Amino acid sequence: MSALGDLVTPKVRFRLEPYFQFAQKAMAREATYRFDVFTTVASVLVRVYLLRMVWVALYLRNAAPTDLPLHAIITYSTVALLMGLVMDIDQTRILHDNLHSGTIATDFMKPIIVPLYFFSDGTGEVLFHAILIVPSLLFSLLIVQIDVPGPLVLAAFALSCFLGYMVGFCINFILNCIAFWTLEIHAARLIVTWVTDLFGGEIIPLVIFPAFLQKVAFALPFAAMFSTPLLIYIGHIKPAGYAAALGLQVFWLVVLGFAATIIWRAGAKRVIVQGG
Amino acid sequence: MAIIEAAGLRKVFRSLERDPGIGGAIAALFSRTYEEKVAVDDVNFTLEPGELVGYIGPNGAGKSTTIKMLTGILVPTAGVLRVAGIVPYTHRMANAANIGVVFGQRSQLYWDLPLRESFELLRSIYDVPRDRYLQNMKHFAEILDLDRFLGTPVRQLSLGERMRGDFAAAMLHDPRIVYLDEPTIGLDVVAKEAIREFIGTINRERGTTVILTTHDLADVERLTPRIILIDEGTVIFDGLLERLREEYGTHRILVVSLAETYAEIAVPGAELQSREGAVIRLRFNRRELTAEALIRRVTERYRITDVSIIEPDIESIVRRIYLEGYHDGTVGAPS
Repeated sequence: MSALGDLVTPKVRFRLEPYFQFAQKAMAREATYRFDVFTTVASVLVRVYLLRMVWVALYLRNAAPTDLPLHAIITYSTVALLMGLVMDIDQTRILHDNLHSGTIATDFMKPIIVPLYFFSDGTGEVLFHAILIVPSLLFSLLIVQIDVPGPLVLAAFALSCFLGYMVGFCINFILNCIAFWTLEIHAARLIVTWVTDLFGGEIIPLVIFPAFLQKVAFALPFAAMFSTPLLIYIGHIKPAGYAAALGLQVFWLVVLGFAATIIWRAGAKRVIVQGG
Repeated sequence: MAIIEAAGLRKVFRSLERDPGIGGAIAALFSRTYEEKVAVDDVNFTLEPGELVGYIGPNGAGKSTTIKMLTGILVPTAGVLRVAGIVPYTHRMANAANIGVVFGQRSQLYWDLPLRESFELLRSIYDVPRDRYLQNMKHFAEILDLDRFLGTPVRQLSLGERMRGDFAAAMLHDPRIVYLDEPTIGLDVVAKEAIREFIGTINRERGTTVILTTHDLADVERLTPRIILIDEGTVIFDGLLERLREEYGTHRILVVSLAETYAEIAVPGAELQSREGAVIRLRFNRRELTAEALIRRVTERYRITDVSIIEPDIESIVRRIYLEGYHDGTVGAPS
């Protein structure tokens, strides 16, 4: 064997441009499914209407909780449904899909940071669906009345939504990483969806749970996704409590981000050592 | 200086061994026994810049595993690997910038987007300068005839169109090395020819180093003088196709059309392989007998109207090596 030549230690310059492109292409891709747009908006409207009926009927037969009057809970569930347009998307499904089809190998053959690629792609998809909030909101206003809080609350709500989105991203990412080992994650995904529906506060506000269940729900990371921003929106969490509420979201983001990093490394290592 | 060097390359996969059925699955949760499978045992080769080499072997011989190690997505168990001076698996990103990859079985194009948008995305990923990008696109569109379907979503393309798209995608950033894994699989003859033409062109005109993995030995015959034969994870032949043909292709066939019907056919030094009507096929060893001598023997015995000679095709030679193993030139030598 000849001397193996001079070993080069190459430097790769990081550029953000490709990741913007991934997001942009993901938006374009989503836009190709036009029929989906109409059905999505329609399904939001149906759910807004049904939930309003349910809450009105329930409040007619029961005394309203003092801190959660009917207009507040209708605002809560309507805003929750609009948030769901963004939050309910599994942005990292592409990881599972690529593991399943084996194209994960070609992803690794490109000079890109693969998890960041997934993040960009998912965010592009989400941004496209975020646009759907506008028509959904406008049509919803024909069915229900929504409270609109002041600018400070709205700002805290927006920040909390962003943190909730990031927590949701980490949960989905971890979930899809399971496919590194099992390829199929259908059952795990169902469980996470149920738990998120129940303990995330998307459908039923956690504050009307019995005391014991409330304790459980608020101790789980799912509350950071829907419950925290929504309770800020309807004024259940007062400005004095913002720091604690947002701080808890940041805490979950750090913990889950760390977990996601570890599980990703283990999964990626499995691909490069075991060949996927 | 060599652009690719592999020395003592080895890859062992460890997989969980378990008994079949649910019982086995549960037992495997508690006690694990691993089965080791040697995919690549001891692979050695060097490639000079601008070389085009066929990397040939039966299914499961270790071809794809080698390619995966070369692309940096698989870590070798042992051995040394350098691609353009880089150890692929320790510098995956830098290595990725140097290489282009085409898999016949899977696409790197974006399924839901028009072909053109995949190219733009790749331009951005590989940071190809705008003018170089346009130049390449123009060139590829010309030889691969891409213009007709640049605006079509990839999922609507035919296999042949998609493959042409994949080839352009792999070459867009002027990689120094391309790995082609079964690039003509499933294509019709016209599409195959277009792809072969393209591979030849980029190798000749751009000096791109090409490793071509294929089952279709016609690809190899058409494109490259050098082949590396791999079997059971080891290189069993590395050299010119011509040499392989000389060593193994010792037998030729003389096809003779007879002018009359004969009850019995026998020619010394040749074996009657088949007889269909007036056409007979005689198999003979070219080291023992020249074609001229054989034809003379035939005409001495029978009246004939026509003769032709069939040379051994590479396909049958390689098949023979897989079955018998490689013996370094001793097979078929005159005894």
